[in-house]
Amino acid sequence: MISARTLRDPTMLRIGSVVAVLVLWEVLGRLDPIVASYPTAIVAAFVELAFVDNTLWPAFATTLQGLVVGFAISSVLGVAIGFAMGRIRLVDLILDPYVSALYATPRIALVPLLVLWVGIDFELRVTIVVLSSIFPIIINTYIGAKSVDRELLDTGRAFAANGWQMLTTVVVPASIPYLFAGLRIGVARALVGIIVAEMTAAVTGTGQLIIQYGRFFQTDKLFVPVIILGLFSIVLAEVVYFLQRRATPWANVERIR
Amino acid sequence: MLDIQHVSKSFGRVAQPVLDDFSLTAAEGEFVSLIGPSGCGKTTLLRIVAGLLPATSGDVTVAGVPSVGPSRDKAVVFQHFNLFPWRTTLANAAYGLEIQNVPKQEREERAMRWLRMLGLEKYAHHYPGEISGGMRQRVGIARALAIEPKLLLMDEPFGALDALTREHLQGELQKIAEQTSLTILFVTHSIDEAVYLSDRIVVMGTHPGRIIREFAVDLRRPRYDYNFRAEPEYAQIRGEIWGMLERELAEDEERSDAAEDTTPMETPA
Repeated sequence: MISARTLRDPTMLRIGSVVAVLVLWEVLGRLDPIVASYPTAIVAAFVELAFVDNTLWPAFATTLQGLVVGFAISSVLGVAIGFAMGRIRLVDLILDPYVSALYATPRIALVPLLVLWVGIDFELRVTIVVLSSIFPIIINTYIGAKSVDRELLDTGRAFAANGWQMLTTVVVPASIPYLFAGLRIGVARALVGIIVAEMTAAVTGTGQLIIQYGRFFQTDKLFVPVIILGLFSIVLAEVVYFLQRRATPWANVERIR
Repeated sequence: MLDIQHVSKSFGRVAQPVLDDFSLTAAEGEFVSLIGPSGCGKTTLLRIVAGLLPATSGDVTVAGVPSVGPSRDKAVVFQHFNLFPWRTTLANAAYGLEIQNVPKQEREERAMRWLRMLGLEKYAHHYPGEISGGMRQRVGIARALAIEPKLLLMDEPFGALDALTREHLQGELQKIAEQTSLTILFVTHSIDEAVYLSDRIVVMGTHPGRIIREFAVDLRRPRYDYNFRAEPEYAQIRGEIWGMLERELAEDEERSDAAEDTTPMETPA
């Protein structure tokens, strides 16, 4: 029986739900461990991979390296291109066909071509991360730059701000919420991109680990990188959210009100 | 100080101009209000004087210099305050000085002086989202005054505020006008506000936007420390302007009715 009090403080309900699923998984998983494994076996596999034969962290570090470098490039470039397109009509007209076309293309389809161009290692990871994440960043920044409140633009102009000052004091701060929306989507896409690229082309990395364990029906081990990636993507989203709150203290005020 | 000569403004291909051959001058330190029904072009005129909008024809001169764009001589106070939500009260007030590349410490000191005068020093580090509408417009006024303009342009600055706050800020604005030699061009739709604040009231009509008549307001200053509404002159000016605006609205309706009569009726197929 779920009382009104439980619904007001849902922590117990959440924990209960998770525990129930874990228990169910444990029971059903033991029936045929190759199909779905079970939580205690996965924990044991995690301990083995992480602390005994030390395969998990090097693979994860390889993925992380590509992700960080690629996402850094794509953030800087994406934001710059987004603002340039949003503010300079010529740049918009020149770049728009490519941005629109590439945004619509499944970037993963480019992996075989990228292998030809940059190989299967670090460069591939960086390239696929950039291709996966830069377009949502460009497009969101562009929308932000385009949708700055006209009255605020007037205000900047009324105080005789020049073009550069308009950009730094009005357009960029007004676009920050959009910019972060782009970064949030971008970081999620980047993670998907790099894992798929590692699964299809690379011989190292977290994605490759998943493929290997799958091939050898080591289902318990297979779940380890999958769960690590799941937790990692939550951490990434939180990091972006944290940075957004730090960058927009005024928005916190309005959220509270 | 302010010299507006034969300014006209049309938008797009619409035949009727929003403003038609508008001329007005204001002396240094003078407080001039523009009043008229909506659509009479008073805000358009203010935006042209501010340099935010080009006139189709005519000239605007501020302190002897042709005014073709925004400049340091002019500052605008907007109807909807237009504070930057990401700037604190102090940073908003110092905005104009920042644009003029005044060093940080100096601009904050100068902005702070105005904030103190407007009773906002306690809220210097608050964001606009944390303060009331009346306080926000005080910040808007401080931001405009901080650049020490010669001409202050105010576009229905108190229109979005409640009656009590409005009256309070009107009093403060009078004090500021007294202490400085600011020339103020003030757009309003409140006759009471115009009479309270102005040296001169310009009544405008619509279609096209133009001056109907000018009134000098000779009520004794300062007007905030006696009941100016009890003076016979107040009632007289108020009545005259009211009648004028009513006639203008009625005539405007007739004009648009007449215009409608000339358009062919739509016949059902």
